[in-house]
Amino acid sequence: MLSRRMFATAAAAALLVPGLAAAEAPAAGTKIALVRYLSTGDFFQAYLSGVEKQAEALGLELQVLDSRQDAALQADMVDQAISLGVEGIIIQHGLTESMKEAAQRAVDAGIKVVAFDVDVENEAIPQIEQSDRDLARLALEQAIEDNGDSFTAGYVYVPGIAPLDRRDETWKEFKARYPGITEKAMFGTMDNPIANSVANQARSVLSANPDITVMFAPYDEFAKGVKIAVDEAGMGADMSIYSADISTADIAAMREPGSAWKATAATNPAVVGEVSVRSLAMLLGGEDPGRSVIVPPTLITQTQLNEQDIKSMEELAAKLPAFAHAEVAMTPWMKLPPR
Amino acid sequence: MRDFAIRYGFLILMIGLIVVFGLSAPGFLTPQSAVFILQSVAITGILALGVTCTMVVDGFDLSIGAVATSALMLSAYAQVIWGLGAIEAVLMCLAMGAAVGLANGVMIVKLRVPDLLATLGMMFVLIGLQRIPTQGNSISTGMALPGGGSATGTFDPLFLALGRLRLDFILPRLLPLSVVMLLVIALLVWVFLETTRHGRLMYAIGSNAQAAALAGTNVDRYRIAAYVISGTLASVGGVLLAARLGRGDVASGNNLLLDAVAAALIGFAVLGAGKPNAFGTAIGALFVGILLQGLTMLNAPYYTQDFIKGAVLIVALVFTFALSGRAGRPA
Repeated sequence: MLSRRMFATAAAAALLVPGLAAAEAPAAGTKIALVRYLSTGDFFQAYLSGVEKQAEALGLELQVLDSRQDAALQADMVDQAISLGVEGIIIQHGLTESMKEAAQRAVDAGIKVVAFDVDVENEAIPQIEQSDRDLARLALEQAIEDNGDSFTAGYVYVPGIAPLDRRDETWKEFKARYPGITEKAMFGTMDNPIANSVANQARSVLSANPDITVMFAPYDEFAKGVKIAVDEAGMGADMSIYSADISTADIAAMREPGSAWKATAATNPAVVGEVSVRSLAMLLGGEDPGRSVIVPPTLITQTQLNEQDIKSMEELAAKLPAFAHAEVAMTPWMKLPPR
Repeated sequence: MRDFAIRYGFLILMIGLIVVFGLSAPGFLTPQSAVFILQSVAITGILALGVTCTMVVDGFDLSIGAVATSALMLSAYAQVIWGLGAIEAVLMCLAMGAAVGLANGVMIVKLRVPDLLATLGMMFVLIGLQRIPTQGNSISTGMALPGGGSATGTFDPLFLALGRLRLDFILPRLLPLSVVMLLVIALLVWVFLETTRHGRLMYAIGSNAQAAALAGTNVDRYRIAAYVISGTLASVGGVLLAARLGRGDVASGNNLLLDAVAAALIGFAVLGAGKPNAFGTAIGALFVGILLQGLTMLNAPYYTQDFIKGAVLIVALVFTFALSGRAGRPA
């Protein structure tokens, strides 16, 4: 450990030679920590795999601390990471109120910090974001392309969940911009298993409002639930579902013959994980990735999936390059995970 | 008057609710609407019937939600990753449910662990265990396997039919198979508890285990059997859930547990029974289903639904304990 630290110091000193002060990759073996608030589910699993792969490609030593939705524990875990002697911390989700001070303590301890999908209100901490507004915009633009700018819609939404709230802003904008769009029903629940609970609700909504032709379900668990209800009601041919997020199972559901699930806008969670690590590596190497690092989303349509015969997330990444890699937080020295 | 309120109060409340929703929500009073109310409560109803059996012997089973989601994951794993057929997958799930029930029963009866604690522990074990084989991922065809390659199996159409097949009844393709299973299981549990010697002995154990033992009943065996029934029925619920979703979704099943327990407790109040009973449980599940579907049709947001579910449960418990004057350990 001592020799590694000395090597790092020597490397840093070498950089101070005038004229050669370009930033460089953090030394191999640099310890970083991922402090998580949310971890259950496909999205978070894929995010973690992206973090792990990018950390490995850069030779960083990754420590994962998982608070499992315990806000107080997550703050304690930042302190734990500080005492473990890490040089960089990624804060993944969490609550502004509980994480703000913990993040400041880490910055005060000279540790580089980036935050994904949580605003810790700190100038020194870059925000990694998947752009939820863009996600919703892409899906809704496709809905308008397919159905024209006047239709009767159902909307699935649960307030109080940050990414859903941001997607909701875009939905409100679209409704204001296109007066032909009528929101006939709004429903939604986070009761586990979400798809099953949403399916029960959607069944009632569909029978109470048989004139609905478009469902905006900006979270894939919601879309899955709506699709189950649409299939059970035998309305697949007259209904179009637009959503956000994607997984291998979602691809199969979108590709089922006669599937009402027409399009989804998604950011590859693994890519978001990679970008989080790259931004942190840039900070460690003395470069500024910017106050906010936005990972752009991709629109994925049923037609695309069928035409290119895409069956899984891996194939999606292979056939849609925009989905496999985001050209953000890149530097000349950045090593990418092998594809 | 008081007796009448105790016996029929709840059923009258339910009929009133149907009238109110029928008048205010267009499309509520249709065969389709009736069927999907039943469908929405099929899974929790089956779980609730299981937990009713444990309540009858003065026990409780907190692990049913986790057993159901474990069966969901196991059936998906068996078909998608091992490539097994529907029959093997269902048998494995039932065996798993029965084995968990047996383990619960042995812990409670032979090792003298209090029922709530034993099944709480089992709940956590199962929530964790079901995620270990897939490292926390949901299971679906095409998913990457930890050992490289991707899963090639698919859900057997026969298996999916359990959750999706609809029988011709009044209207073509109206009645889902899951609803038929709920009705059949409700009938079986009712017949078992109310009319067979075994069922009567289980009630006897529930009201006074010592007296039942002195009368020559094998108390331990009946109590273990109650947990085996509960675990098996929970796994049936999980199979139906998997067949409806068509994938192995990671979920804790806590909502399933809470809804099932609520249905069983509401059941105490039906016909003034004042004790766990299969008919009451089925009505309790139906009551919650009618409320939730009606409210959703009226565009009521989800938090009002939780609120109303809780209010109904409290009213039902007041019916049971205050009005009928029968106090006892509910769980």
